[in-house]
Amino acid sequence: MIADIFLMSLDALRSHKVRTLLTLMGIIIGISSVIIVTTAGNSVSSFVQEQWNIFDPTGILIGIGTATDPPRIAFTGAVFTNNDVKKIQDLPHIKNVAPVGIVPIRKISIREGILKWKSTPGGTMYASTSSMLDVLKLEIDEGRIFQEGKNEIVVTKTTTELFGKDKPLKIGDVVYLQRIDSKTLKAKIVGILKETTEGNILTQLTTPSILGPTDPYYSTFIGSNVGSILHRITAYIVLYATATDKENVDKAKGEILDYLNSGASDASKYKKEKYDYVIVTQQYIIQRIDSVMGVINMLVTTIALISLAVGAIGIANIMFATVTERTREIGTMMAIGAKRRFILQMFLYQSTIIGLIGAILGCILGASGSAFVVQVLNTYLKDLGGTAFTGSINLNFSIEWFGIAVFFGVLAGIAAGVLPARKAAKMDPVVALRYT
Amino acid sequence: MLDKITIETHSLTKIYKTGKVEFKALNNVSLKIKKGDFIALMGPSGSGKTTLMNILGCLDRPTSGDIFLEGLNLSTLPDSQLAEIRSKKIGFVFQTFNLIPNISALKNITLSMIFAEVPRSSREANALEILKKLGLEKFTRNLPSELSGGQQQRVALARALANNPSIILADEPTGNLDSSTGIQIMNLLSSFNKEGKTILLVTHDASLKKYANRIITMKDGEISEHR
Repeated sequence: MIADIFLMSLDALRSHKVRTLLTLMGIIIGISSVIIVTTAGNSVSSFVQEQWNIFDPTGILIGIGTATDPPRIAFTGAVFTNNDVKKIQDLPHIKNVAPVGIVPIRKISIREGILKWKSTPGGTMYASTSSMLDVLKLEIDEGRIFQEGKNEIVVTKTTTELFGKDKPLKIGDVVYLQRIDSKTLKAKIVGILKETTEGNILTQLTTPSILGPTDPYYSTFIGSNVGSILHRITAYIVLYATATDKENVDKAKGEILDYLNSGASDASKYKKEKYDYVIVTQQYIIQRIDSVMGVINMLVTTIALISLAVGAIGIANIMFATVTERTREIGTMMAIGAKRRFILQMFLYQSTIIGLIGAILGCILGASGSAFVVQVLNTYLKDLGGTAFTGSINLNFSIEWFGIAVFFGVLAGIAAGVLPARKAAKMDPVVALRYT
Repeated sequence: MLDKITIETHSLTKIYKTGKVEFKALNNVSLKIKKGDFIALMGPSGSGKTTLMNILGCLDRPTSGDIFLEGLNLSTLPDSQLAEIRSKKIGFVFQTFNLIPNISALKNITLSMIFAEVPRSSREANALEILKKLGLEKFTRNLPSELSGGQQQRVALARALANNPSIILADEPTGNLDSSTGIQIMNLLSSFNKEGKTILLVTHDASLKKYANRIITMKDGEISEHR
């Protein structure tokens, strides 16, 4: 019986192809926009995640600034001392900590003869300790790490080609680095970094071309406010740390803040009142991106669901029209023995079939539409300049949304059909037969 | 031999209400229809013939009075059982044919078998047999709109026969047909009557009286003449 009613409903839909198609359109558009929005959102979201996941998720940047949400690091005022670095290193959930002394280099020179020099504009040097490599997730391709207190540096491959690709700098070569305070320091290349696409919050800001020990390259001194004698103490603007693992990032953050605020820290002596300690974690950034993406997704999904509701109203509208138009048929069917239940089911199945077919076609259209949207986004991404991003947005379907879409499509069909079907089933056969 | 009573009514009254205005469509109609009767129900428009037919055909309920079909009191039955009686015991034929427009002639006939819960396997064969009997075997796959009026009415007759009912109710079956086609239809109804079916024919057309063995004339909701 159910199969018969189903076939009857199909017959009815088939006999009004244009009407059925137009009614379907409402649902198809609704469902496909839900699919496109969720798929595009999902794809972009996982792309952004990937972008940040290539950074170390245990990474923690320590600085001073304003601890608002989002926090702002003021890249000014060196307050963290080597003593602070050592104390933070000893905290239970800290794996590693490295001071980051940014040393802008005005000029890099090499000696080509006894009195012959060759120079090139320099880049940025990171002066730190040997734990910097681990903290910044950098690897040595050739040679070894610099030693503290010696005039040794590690350079990127690009730096070795500064004086021409044909005669790259080699391990053991000596260069002269002129800082912006005009002081020139000798440096022996002891290691060459492996090229990497990985990075972290810090390398995202400036790309270091040269890494060296703080002694002798870094010399930001601060005046102690103990008495009137000016102590010459090396201090850093930011520190970069890693937590023991992903789960302990927040604990590590708490420990660092506790230490810095305790008064036992040197930073507490040098930090100006108007600044707070600011700690930015990778996870914080990922969460921020997620929450922004979440809001956008919710907004657009709401719009898509509204369009689905409009589609459902379209079905209801056409079903009412169909019921009215078929009044005499309904009367006839009742006269030849159709029970009210049959009439109810027949119209309910019709609207459900529209909902189901609309949902399925909507999913197909939505899937291909998403592929198109992602392709367009990738084109824009390239136009924006590929350097800021690595890779491209991959089509990332959220399977559950296909299920949800089909469910809501069918639900919309059923909901839209209930009232018209009841109207049909409640007809008085005598009145219905007289209807012209 | 005592004739078997198929339908019996006791003081059937039907009152229609439109707002505060009451209209008595049937007034105290008592009537017995025997098995195998061919009754012509006649009378002017508004005399209550169609109302009576609808009540006899289980489509409508009387405001008061009782109606028995093969001994069963219909006034106490729920809608779903009335529908079942309509599908199994009664065949309807309408002036305007009333075929379902979007399905084939064959499907129009199997449709009433669906309502009578005839198993799917035997539906099509039964329907083909009936269509053949009425000379419609060529039109089984045609839509009603592809058939002439006479052909459509014959399909409607086939549909009325689908579940082998004991009673056929025909409301002006020739009203929309030319006279020669009308005669064909009346001859078919006559032949069904000879096979033992009880026929109730509602008509204006005095020339159809000759097919009937009983003529009931109605006026103002009452039976005015009965012979």
